[in-house]
Amino acid sequence: MITLEGVAARRAPLTLARLSLSWGPGMHSLVGTPADGGPLMLELVAGHARLRAGRVRVLDASPDDAAVRRQIALVLLEPPLPDALTAAAVLTLAATLRGEPPGDPVARLASLGVESLAPRRVGTLAPEEARAVALAEAVTSTCVRVLLLEEPLVGMDPRAAARLPEALRARGRDGCAVLVATASLRDAADLTDDHVLLRGGTVGGKTASLAELSAFSPDGVRMRIVASDPQALLAAVASEDAVEAVARRDGAVVARGRDATALAAAVGRAIVISGVDVSEMRVEPPSMDDARAASAGVATATYEAAYARTLAALAPPSEGPP
Amino acid sequence: MIAALARPSLARVFRTPRSLLAVGAWAVLALGFALAARSRGSANGADHVLVGAYGALILPLLAYTLVGAVLGARSLSGATAPLVLFGAAPARAAAVTVGVAMVAGVVVGAALASLVALLAHGSSDPPAASDALASAYAGALGGAAYTAWFALGASFGKRGGGRAVLLVVDWVLGLGHGVMAVVTPRAHLRNLLGGAAPMGWSGRASAAALVVIAGACLLIAVRRARRA
Repeated sequence: MITLEGVAARRAPLTLARLSLSWGPGMHSLVGTPADGGPLMLELVAGHARLRAGRVRVLDASPDDAAVRRQIALVLLEPPLPDALTAAAVLTLAATLRGEPPGDPVARLASLGVESLAPRRVGTLAPEEARAVALAEAVTSTCVRVLLLEEPLVGMDPRAAARLPEALRARGRDGCAVLVATASLRDAADLTDDHVLLRGGTVGGKTASLAELSAFSPDGVRMRIVASDPQALLAAVASEDAVEAVARRDGAVVARGRDATALAAAVGRAIVISGVDVSEMRVEPPSMDDARAASAGVATATYEAAYARTLAALAPPSEGPP
Repeated sequence: MIAALARPSLARVFRTPRSLLAVGAWAVLALGFALAARSRGSANGADHVLVGAYGALILPLLAYTLVGAVLGARSLSGATAPLVLFGAAPARAAAVTVGVAMVAGVVVGAALASLVALLAHGSSDPPAASDALASAYAGALGGAAYTAWFALGASFGKRGGGRAVLLVVDWVLGLGHGVMAVVTPRAHLRNLLGGAAPMGWSGRASAAALVVIAGACLLIAVRRARRA
């Protein structure tokens, strides 16, 4: 659905250098700060930024194509909406321009729980509310097949933030390509199924699971457990050999270990021993730097393994016993 | 589709009291000049007010304000960004937005010029009805040319700062009667309203020049929006 072939672009001070990537239907993320090029890549895919080299194809055509343009929804951090119109009128206008049935704008806003904004003029909305309106338009459009979102959970009306992940997943399941640019590995892990790690305009790595990537992180794997008695769990976890460090954070216990499987087993034992009730347990996504380092580590390990296999294949056969 | 593309621009003009007040203020000032000329009993009142105040000051600033109101004090690409975001072609969105400004410029320019001609009419002026018609014709052409001129200016700069630059360019170059004045709306509007002609051009030539300026500015602005 989305293909970037040798794409180069520049927006001072950032330069995107010869990127070749492709995404099909589903949930995808570009992980990195804005300085790494995520938002610029979204604008390139939407046809709103100029290419210096390469080619962008969306739905098998150029994003400048009139038919394709209508099927792309781009929601940046500050979406430009017509400020003199009401939120309901904005959705009606968008439906007309996209060439889809107008539908009930209030019902469309209600999909993200912001139907109360319908009669208000965009100029009077808080930035979070304006983002919710823009996202409601993108998520509920029957014409849109490519959703390009910058930090969908940041600066978002709390009513919409609660409903947005499921709404996006539903669009992904319906065959849309949802591409999220975010600097939050947690948001990327929560919302999307595969991740491209960006670094200074280049691809630092690709992974299908940030949790798996954390196994290659220099700092190891972190597991977060919310339990009925954090203090008792903390004491039990601390006595496990596979746990390198343990701490309480925001009412939860965070344990760190070198190996994900061994850490999970150790935490499981600690839960049984301490007899606490667990309400949430999950592997924490690594930090941005850890993820990049881990991704580089995976690449290095893959290269070294391939190198060793090639050497072994090229080595002259050893002479057997006479 | 055109109605949908024009909707945000029209909403900006009609639902923003500040822009309506600014346009109204320039109109009231023009009518004030006309009434002052009438109360003085000036023999060429309409001629003086149309050339000296309306053409030289009121219409350029009124068109400047109108374009600002239509674009919401943004650049042309900034004003059309919401439409482009929903799938509209950038060039078409820009063309309709500039078109809204030009139609507003034509209507307001023509109406105000004819009102000024009628109010300030003096004993030595041409017959009131024909003078009002001729003034409306000149005001309409001037309004179209000036709004396109400033729309082109608004396609430059992040917030459309080129609009102010073209206001100054029109003021500076349009004052003279030489070759440089030929490229500005001011010189041709002055000629149509009965003032000094640039390079001795006829009224018909100046009318054609205003149409060419309006068309050229519209085309360049749209072309720039397409590349933005």
